[in-house]
Amino acid sequence: MASKFEYNQEALKNLQIEDPSILDRLIDGESARQAHLKKERGKVDKRMSLKEAVQEFVKDGDIYADSGFSYVRTPLQALFEVMRQGKKNLQGIGSPNTNHSYGIHYGTFKYSHNSYLGAEMRGTDRSYSKAVKEKKVKILSEWSHGAMALGFKAAQLGAPYLACKSMIASDMVKYNPYVKVVDNPFKKEKDPVCLVPALYPDVVFIHVQWADKYGNARIYGPAVNDIALAAACRKVIITAEEIVPESDLRNTTNTNVIPFMFVDAVVHLPYGALPGNCPGYYYWSREFWEWGIRIALSGKDDKYLESFWDYWVFSCKDQFDFLEKLGGVRWLNKHQVIERALNGTNEDDGIDLSYESVIPKWDEE
Amino acid sequence: MSVAPANPLEMLAYVVSRHIKDKQIVYVGTGLPMVGAILAKKTHAPNITLVYESGGQDPIEGPMPWSVADPVTWRKSPITMEMALSFAQAANGYVDVAFQGAAQVDMYGNLNTHIIGNDFLNPKARLTGSGGGNDLISLTENTVIVGLQTPEKFPAKLDFITSPGHLYGGNSRKEAGLLGNGPVAVITQIGVYDFEPVTKRMRIKSLHPGITVEIAQACTGFELLVPEGEIPVTETPPPDVLEVLRNEVDPQKIFIAFPPR
Repeated sequence: MASKFEYNQEALKNLQIEDPSILDRLIDGESARQAHLKKERGKVDKRMSLKEAVQEFVKDGDIYADSGFSYVRTPLQALFEVMRQGKKNLQGIGSPNTNHSYGIHYGTFKYSHNSYLGAEMRGTDRSYSKAVKEKKVKILSEWSHGAMALGFKAAQLGAPYLACKSMIASDMVKYNPYVKVVDNPFKKEKDPVCLVPALYPDVVFIHVQWADKYGNARIYGPAVNDIALAAACRKVIITAEEIVPESDLRNTTNTNVIPFMFVDAVVHLPYGALPGNCPGYYYWSREFWEWGIRIALSGKDDKYLESFWDYWVFSCKDQFDFLEKLGGVRWLNKHQVIERALNGTNEDDGIDLSYESVIPKWDEE
Repeated sequence: MSVAPANPLEMLAYVVSRHIKDKQIVYVGTGLPMVGAILAKKTHAPNITLVYESGGQDPIEGPMPWSVADPVTWRKSPITMEMALSFAQAANGYVDVAFQGAAQVDMYGNLNTHIIGNDFLNPKARLTGSGGGNDLISLTENTVIVGLQTPEKFPAKLDFITSPGHLYGGNSRKEAGLLGNGPVAVITQIGVYDFEPVTKRMRIKSLHPGITVEIAQACTGFELLVPEGEIPVTETPPPDVLEVLRNEVDPQKIFIAFPPR
């Protein structure tokens, strides 16, 4: 199939991308505009279950954007449902894009638009390294967080591309078919700039604290890239801790960040960010990440990965099952108290951040 | 009461803190740079503002965050930013200094956080990728590189340039169109380095107590520049600062335990 865009040939060669048409949809602003034009214009009740939303809006091969940041307000329970429903061959994108790594082994994700993989101080993701070497994942582009964020922002602004000073002189431009380093046409002296095209992923789940049934949504804490992603993506699903009356949102207009018209579905999904952090609601599970990074994602043996996801994803039917495995109401209450203490909204004497290892004996080396 | 001398990681955190001046806007990631920044805030630089790439900034004091998006990074923040706007603050001149680690650092302060090995599609190890690293070193006024120094981590040639420092030396950074001064210092368990103004090659600025030029060179995969005259010994943390570091900044010893956990 012929590609509609001019890509960096060196990057196509270095990444061994033989058919560049696979790259087109991410920067095809006209097709995103057509998708946006077809969206419901009326104020209608868009509520549905998570299962229905994933069935209806996630198609095999979609460009799937991660939202939130790593394990903060990330729609992890939606991602787990995507894995449970056996969706295949997705392109993963996000800054960071670390959560896509979970699904590569199961074929959920086949392609990566990379910005950052790993869990910061908890370490690098060795299972991704293994997947690259075994060709289970194909890298389509390499980005800095800032350049990718600018691509989403360009889409939100309706700008075909934006120029920046990130990525120039980095080897990443040899492994990113999309960006172009050119001379700033406004300056008389030579002034290289990096052009970043507007980025339009197919589908995004955005987990928020509060939304109304039409899709107007409010975020507490850093919005990261989510305001831009909501405007850019062809399909937008809001998962919310609480569904509130529209009148509540109208009373404090300036903290609402996503308008209903962008939104295709609204899912009432309490605990939808577990095992991550939902600001104001619950702190994240350090136990989960210890087990995940040190054992499951260690890259040593796929059996660790399989037993981990059998336990946490495939044997859970929903987020409530997942919460029970974390420790149920006792775990939840402790992490609600920690979260509010860290937010500075309760008495924080003696925040207890200690935790018991949950790594089962059969998984220890 | 005597205070035990600093271990190598405590020394690193202290030297990081000394590279921060009061009232600066400081862009930090997780790990030792954050420990150093919080130590600076609790000692000689109480009026600094911390900025994080997730959008958190200017938090009130709290426990040590495990992620740059942790609630502690925006605890009671008057305002939070989106990611694109947070990097724009660096590009627009609202960040004075950023701290970075890397898997590999070369003699010009270029950084690699992408791969180990020379085949991108079949590397010995695939690492995290850029994250905000490339943006910070490309946009911020001053960058300080922090990490452990070995010949493998300080090689003659990087396997991949993720984040450009002084590129190929001389004026090459400026000619490439990058903003700011690039890397101004490198802090390791061995010593502190700066970059010689003309060649932009890494040069010894001070060595930690007990470290000789020969030891520093043995820990480096390229030739270090040695300044003329006597090489200063890096200032070690006074007991009262060490107590703040151990009891108030990282009491759980998440980052400063040695050997590391």
